[in-house]
Amino acid sequence: MKEQELTLGEELRRQGISRRSFLKFCAAVASSMAIPASMVPAMAESLAKARRQSVIWMSYQECTGCIESLTRSYTPTLESMLFNFISLDYQHALQAAAGRQAEDALHQAMEDNWGEYLVIADGSIPLKDDGVYSTVDGHTNLESIKEVAEGAAAIIAIGTCAAYGGVGAAKPNPTGAVGVDQIITDKPILNVPGCPPMPEVMTGVLTSYLAFGRLPDVDSKKRPLAFFGDTIHDRCYRRPYYDLGLYAKSFDDEGARKGWCLYELGCKGPITYNACATTKWNQGTSWPVQSGHGCIGCSEPNFWDKDSFYKPLSAGQWGSAEGIAIAAAAGVAAGAAAAVVSRKHQDNLAGGNKS
Amino acid sequence: MTLLDFARGPAMQFAIFIFVFGIVFRLVGVWAMRHKRDLSEPRQPSAWKGGIHGLIQHAWPYKPFRDKLMTDYVIGYVIHLGLLFVIFFYKPHILFFQDIFGFGWPALPNGVITAISIITIGALVIALVKRLTDPVRRLISNFDDYFTWFVTTLPFVTGLATAGNVWWHYETGLAIHLLSVWLLLIYFPFGKLMHAFWFGVSRYTTGSRFARRGGMA
Amino acid sequence: MSDATTTDIPVDLESKRLTVTRPDIRFDKQGELGDDERVQKAMQHFAKDFGYIAANYMEACVHCGACAQACPFYEANPDPKLTPIWKLEPFKQAYKREAGPLSFFYKTLNLKSKVTIEQLEEWQELLYDTCTMCGRCTLVCPMSIDIATLVGMARHGMFHAGLVPHELYTVTEKAEREGSPLGATPKVFADRVEWMEDEHEVDMPLDADKADVLVLMSSIEIQKYPESMAATGKILNQMGKSWTFHTEGYEATNFGMLSGNTQWQKDMTMKIISTAEKIGAELVILPECGHAYQALRWQGANMLGRPLPFKVQHISEFLAEAVESGAIRVNKVDKSVAFHDPCQVSRRGGATPAPRKILEALGVELREPESTGNLNFCCGGGGGVITIHRADSLRYKIMGNKLEQLDATGAEMMVTSCSNCRQNFDDSGEKLHWDKQMNSLLELVAENLVEDTKS
Repeated sequence: MKEQELTLGEELRRQGISRRSFLKFCAAVASSMAIPASMVPAMAESLAKARRQSVIWMSYQECTGCIESLTRSYTPTLESMLFNFISLDYQHALQAAAGRQAEDALHQAMEDNWGEYLVIADGSIPLKDDGVYSTVDGHTNLESIKEVAEGAAAIIAIGTCAAYGGVGAAKPNPTGAVGVDQIITDKPILNVPGCPPMPEVMTGVLTSYLAFGRLPDVDSKKRPLAFFGDTIHDRCYRRPYYDLGLYAKSFDDEGARKGWCLYELGCKGPITYNACATTKWNQGTSWPVQSGHGCIGCSEPNFWDKDSFYKPLSAGQWGSAEGIAIAAAAGVAAGAAAAVVSRKHQDNLAGGNKS
Repeated sequence: MTLLDFARGPAMQFAIFIFVFGIVFRLVGVWAMRHKRDLSEPRQPSAWKGGIHGLIQHAWPYKPFRDKLMTDYVIGYVIHLGLLFVIFFYKPHILFFQDIFGFGWPALPNGVITAISIITIGALVIALVKRLTDPVRRLISNFDDYFTWFVTTLPFVTGLATAGNVWWHYETGLAIHLLSVWLLLIYFPFGKLMHAFWFGVSRYTTGSRFARRGGMA
Repeated sequence: MSDATTTDIPVDLESKRLTVTRPDIRFDKQGELGDDERVQKAMQHFAKDFGYIAANYMEACVHCGACAQACPFYEANPDPKLTPIWKLEPFKQAYKREAGPLSFFYKTLNLKSKVTIEQLEEWQELLYDTCTMCGRCTLVCPMSIDIATLVGMARHGMFHAGLVPHELYTVTEKAEREGSPLGATPKVFADRVEWMEDEHEVDMPLDADKADVLVLMSSIEIQKYPESMAATGKILNQMGKSWTFHTEGYEATNFGMLSGNTQWQKDMTMKIISTAEKIGAELVILPECGHAYQALRWQGANMLGRPLPFKVQHISEFLAEAVESGAIRVNKVDKSVAFHDPCQVSRRGGATPAPRKILEALGVELREPESTGNLNFCCGGGGGVITIHRADSLRYKIMGNKLEQLDATGAEMMVTSCSNCRQNFDDSGEKLHWDKQMNSLLELVAENLVEDTKS
């Protein structure tokens, strides 16, 4: 409990992190979140004064990929320090406790920080058949999210599943899976979609929450605007090839080797909002398009159901040629019928009947 | 279902169904009207050659009319060629057709397509202004003429906006663009856009009728 | 429908142009039909023409207005309502509402309203006074719409609705009743043949029982240019043809066709066909008359319902063959000539090369105006327009443009092969103080015929 009273600044100093490094970190986060540079000192100051934040991480129908993405870093960084600084009071994949002990810890944390704790959720929540398809400690995910949400200051939905239902909600969605905001409507909710989501987004959001005490600005899909304001396509380093009309036609042709645009190979960059193109992955090493594969649009709702990952974006969802044949045949029939009716009507008119 | 999913899926299927159905319906509807046999003795056999000649002949005005009509013809060609190039030689469009037909063809650079689109929109605007200001065209124009202008111009505008991504959301822009094209397809068989077919039928009819007689083509 | 009080106007034989005298009171509506009945009659006869050809033309229009730029009437008076396709508006409207594949929508949603009597009355002037069915608009139409044919169809409805201009109706009714629109009754015809025989010392067989060739005349020639008869006789005699005129079938004009009465059109055509069949003619020669060529050469078989049992030729085609085969020889004429193509013979008839072959044989220097041959600029008098007094001022304006084009060639001599065009040039030329005269191609050939006495 004593530890909890340390501020972030004190904690960092205790760990031997210089103020200069801390300011650099703040500047980096600020720039990634489009916060003006003039705000950095103020941000650093309020961040340094922040107290440990209680965080309750709920995992529902998920694959653990999100937590893997967010925690797996090769070198210890300030980001990981930040994760260390928060008090992750419940996370059943990471915590040592199990069973009753773990559940007790959850309830203890909720009780201690009622109204102030932050809920992070990953995984979708099944609704069908009263949500029996995913339970923890005898409670369905549905009951669980309602319970923890009640005392939460805000909720961060991590990953496409928690945000929009994701893979769990893919057709035919057997469990009736939905994202958190379909269930909880009376709390501030922020989505960090992606399959998996980018660690830098998580850092940015947490930093911003700690520094300013509120969630950052979001778009209509509740995504932090700073990271999801532009499409992959708009920020893609291969964009000039698109504009020139130079496209790779297969994954190992001349164009692919020269790094031409992957639009024709099904890249969903133009309709995908995420920061991959600028922030990249694995400490800025690379990202899917750079590695030669088109964006699959993993941070967008229903990305699984938007046809093949390898189908060009401008191609429609073509039913079958049968439809056209039926249309043509119906046209012939209707046209002939119209002409028969017209001939009859003409005879009628020509015979002197009133029109 | 997002707007884009709707545009790419059911809306597209419905539009293409109506497009094909309507065109066939109208062509067959006219074709199946009464044909009167011309019993007069033809001046020459193989009138069909005259029909083909007529198809080509009317693509450009005869010399005595050129002074008065050159501007209109040039505007007309800019619009039609613009449509042709933008529809069939823009990469994303080719990919659309490729998905349907199973084969593609070389594309023009996007910058060229953008330039063609802007020029075509300009020509469309001039055509509209002429329709509104020329007393002859103004008198003989009806709703069909203006609506056809609207549904033809709209995909150009929405397409340019989408390519340049001036929308608040790219996918919404793309969906609007697609929907504007479906509107064009759905209206196509019921208005004067059908001249894409009638020009052939009508020119061939006159060409072959008068080849039988001799005289004009 | 025949109303004696309105058609009892004498033919004016004094004027340069042949029609009835200007009526004191105009009766541009025939019969006693009520308005609804007139509309119904119009629809009845419009409907008969809504076949495939008319349909695809009316579907094809894109309202580009180019046709106005080809129309001699619009050129003379740039009033938008004289745009050729606009002249068809009621016909088109009726088609779209009643017959086209989309008629169901047009009618149920009332997108095309019913044609009204006011519309039809307004369109009388557009369909009759200001269209010669010269077909020049088709040339300029990007869709190649044969507007002239459609105007001909629309006139069917107009006639039966009783909405024909007074003079045109009068001459048409005279033609049906007397056998000639302009007073050239069989008796008058026989007298004038006899007169010309004496005057020109040419044998002209009349009413022969058997002949290979039946020669027709138009009432304009019979009444105004009887030398045409002598000229024809002279040439046929020189060729040693077995030919005849016939009082049962001589009148080549067909005002039934021009005014829109198909039955009367058929009556006139059948007189010719049965006479030709009776005398066993192999060839019927049409005189220098444009619409006569249209009526017999291209519509005759369709009136009869089977192919014609004889060949039909315009006099210019016959003469072209004769000079080409050497059947006749002509003296050289050392003059420059501009030729005015009659629309119904050249552009719409297809005999365009014939006069040029003849002129070549005559050795003249042919000077073609810019719009010539199939592109010819109409004289403004065809299609019955010349009979209508109220159409005169516009007709003179058109002729003004026409004369400019002809004069621009600098030719010394003007020649045509249509007596209707010729009378229009005579009439308008006088009005416009033209220093030249329009000559007949036939007469030019006859004057320069080499007459040998080998037989």
